[in-house]
Amino acid sequence: MTDEIPTPEQDSMLDRMRERLIPDGLPVDDRGRMRLVVDSLILHLHPTKVPVTAMNWTHSWGLGGLSALLMAVLGLTGVVLQNNYTPAAPQAYLDILEINSNVWFGELVRNLHHWSANLLIVVAVLHLIRVFATGAYRPPRELNWLVGVAMLLLVVAANFTGYLLPWDQLAFWAITVGTSIINYVPLIGNWMGKLILGGPEVGANTLLNFYSMHISLIPLMIFGLMMYHFWRVRKDGGLTLPKKLDQVDEPKVERVTTIPHLVRRELVFAIGAFSLLLIFAMLVPAPLEGIANPDISPNPAKAPWYFMGLQELLLHFHPLVGAIILPGLAILGIFLLPFFDINLNSVGIYFRSHRGRSLTLLGIGMALILTPLWVLLDEFVLHWSLWLPTWDTLLSNGLIPLAIVLVPIILLDEWTVRSFHADTEERVLFISTFLFTAFVVLTIIGIFFRGPGMALYWAWNMPAATH
Amino acid sequence: MNPTQNRIRLFEILAGLLATQLVVFGLGFYMLNEPVRITESQTQILHVQLDDAMTLYAQNCSVCHGLEGEGIGATPALNQAALQTMAYEDLTKTIARGRYNTAMPAWSKEDGGPLSDYQISEMVSLIQSGDWNATRDRVVNLGLAPLVPFTTEADPALLAEVANLPNGETLQTAVTLFAANCVACHGADGLGTGIAPALNDPAIREKTAEELTRTVTLGSAGTLMAGWSNVLTAEEITALVTLVQRWDEVPAGILPAPNVPIPTTEESIALGGQLFSQNCSRCHGPEGQGTQRAPALNVKAFLTDTSDLAIQQIVTNGVPGTAMPVWGDRMTEAEIQAVVGFIRQWEATAPEIAVPAKGGGGGPPWLRNNTQSTTQPGAQGTTSTQGQGQGQGQGQGQGQAQSQPTWWQVFDWRILLLAFGALSISFTLIFMGFESLRRRPRIK
Repeated sequence: MTDEIPTPEQDSMLDRMRERLIPDGLPVDDRGRMRLVVDSLILHLHPTKVPVTAMNWTHSWGLGGLSALLMAVLGLTGVVLQNNYTPAAPQAYLDILEINSNVWFGELVRNLHHWSANLLIVVAVLHLIRVFATGAYRPPRELNWLVGVAMLLLVVAANFTGYLLPWDQLAFWAITVGTSIINYVPLIGNWMGKLILGGPEVGANTLLNFYSMHISLIPLMIFGLMMYHFWRVRKDGGLTLPKKLDQVDEPKVERVTTIPHLVRRELVFAIGAFSLLLIFAMLVPAPLEGIANPDISPNPAKAPWYFMGLQELLLHFHPLVGAIILPGLAILGIFLLPFFDINLNSVGIYFRSHRGRSLTLLGIGMALILTPLWVLLDEFVLHWSLWLPTWDTLLSNGLIPLAIVLVPIILLDEWTVRSFHADTEERVLFISTFLFTAFVVLTIIGIFFRGPGMALYWAWNMPAATH
Repeated sequence: MNPTQNRIRLFEILAGLLATQLVVFGLGFYMLNEPVRITESQTQILHVQLDDAMTLYAQNCSVCHGLEGEGIGATPALNQAALQTMAYEDLTKTIARGRYNTAMPAWSKEDGGPLSDYQISEMVSLIQSGDWNATRDRVVNLGLAPLVPFTTEADPALLAEVANLPNGETLQTAVTLFAANCVACHGADGLGTGIAPALNDPAIREKTAEELTRTVTLGSAGTLMAGWSNVLTAEEITALVTLVQRWDEVPAGILPAPNVPIPTTEESIALGGQLFSQNCSRCHGPEGQGTQRAPALNVKAFLTDTSDLAIQQIVTNGVPGTAMPVWGDRMTEAEIQAVVGFIRQWEATAPEIAVPAKGGGGGPPWLRNNTQSTTQPGAQGTTSTQGQGQGQGQGQGQGQAQSQPTWWQVFDWRILLLAFGALSISFTLIFMGFESLRRRPRIK
């Protein structure tokens, strides 16, 4: 701790290297530990001291950190995979075979990349749900919510572009189904489709387009937004502090130093999560089917799993409604949430209040019953386009079913106000819970209960896919 | 540091150590297994490629190289050791670009053929390490077995008749050439097969001689039609073009379809039995013993007199003026061949005289059971050979005749479990929601 510069003769080379890395030596007191945080570029993401309750893992579940860890794993494994990959059809598929069968740890790295990518979507959505459930997007954190939702969309885009790269049948047809939705965008749909696919249909140009987006544009944007996201967490005062139900006053804050308490917990969590991921990737191989063949389409041709809810909607609505209007409104609604749900009293309380918790349960329960019922009703009973053959299908197959879905939701909303005197934040909670559960149910139906011809089958009685 | 914090710290350190050990030892064990995994992975990829290649062989190659790569006529065999030891590059080049002065066309997409480079490499793997017995089964199961040998003989009597036509000698030469070179793809009497169009066709006759000569000489890009200028002389090509243009004058049956048995596999016979009990047994009886509606098939007389091709033709086109409908538009060629194969395997045990089953399908279900219990033992008693060696046909016949299973036999109890689970979860959530709403008003 002296200002005197040691002369080379006094210290060994190792001592001098250590001196350069940690000039003040390892910290021995809290002051030194806090100083180390401030002086370090990476650790500086953290404050010098953190509230004990913010570290409570049942409050945040470590979901944000887990997302960042998965991004790191994806970045590293992605760079390694890139060294063995040519973005050209059909060489891409041969390269994947090569990675699987002739590269040491090749399959493991590919499995890690594949499972991390899919886990990331789940974890990012759970992170969004956690932030929503604790009301952690309210002022002053609205901007960070917007950044987070934008990152979620980018993560989905990254997964989607990566889905094509193995150039097998699974990839080719999932992307063909997924991108066919673009053509339903009014006015500029066809133009956008051509821009993204590099031609009228999925082909060698699409592979190159997706590859370049997957390895450069999207990761750069995610990385930039991540930095911004972290910075805003600090600027907005760190994590929201957990509060007890009906606790109105701000919770008392007891702080401990970041080193070692928070850093140790993060490190253990990261190693633990990574070890489980690694074991999973060792045991479960990433899927790989035969080489992409535009002449042989599998039946059923399904989009990537996270779009199966949308594909299910398309079976019930005119494409303009099912693929553009409804998802568009949903994303807009998610973006706007922090601007009409601004009650600051319940920030940090899971599901706002007693009534909020009750309404959440009601919302989940009702969606679990109503969604499958509606799917069955629409599949077997309601045939609007048959009953109204002279009407435009946008009306008979789009707006009428939309009204049939929207009216009960509006009535449910009215019901929460009339019967339970729910306030704005509780209504938002109820409707969002209901809609999200419905979307999850639709996704599960799409993944597990749709068979050849996209007809309904029991998941355990599913006939094999044909060509 | 208080005791709780100390416990947490200890727990975290232990958990971190455990996770680190998992990573280190997990990677270690994985690395030990890596050479095995790589070998297994290569074997598995080869297996998948061979599977693809067998289907490609059936679709593209079997017509000339035979059911199991044995070679037909002048076409060389592929199941020989000499080819297995040939270099990968040589085999690839031969398939991709064809072979000069032979009927082998270029198969690569770059050269106007139907196969991608990847598919060609799969074909090479089949030649180098394929299982030709399995390939035979694949060809048969897909209904692509070459029923016409590569060459055939013209009917001598009809060939002599042709000589009486104007310019008859040219036609005679052409018919002989057609029998030697073209019949494999363009079929008996030039009526076409699954892989090449009919040439004995008014639309083709309308084409000009120049057009036809060009096609025969240079081939047709993007199809299997090879250029024949290296095999045939200019005069021979002219003769063939004359034949194609004047085929309406040539008597039918001059290039007869030879009697080749339809090959079968276990799968094709099983499929045939299933199709028979679904489509044919109502009229021809559950075991082909015939009914009042349709004649018996499971009798010596029918099976010895009728060739496989004839049965296939009857099934495909129906018999005009009888109740036998056209099945060609309801079943694929492979399915019809499977049915023929199923009918053919009765030949070994077929009785001399058939005992027809009662009525068409046995009437309403309550009588159908009755019918079976009275006629079945009788039928077995009179034709003692029938019961043996036909477990398959008989089992399916019985399945057809029995009454529909009751609803509790077909009901899937897991549906109840799912419905119960989903409903109980939903109702529990809703009930809990209501309960808590009732009990605890919000405190502001």
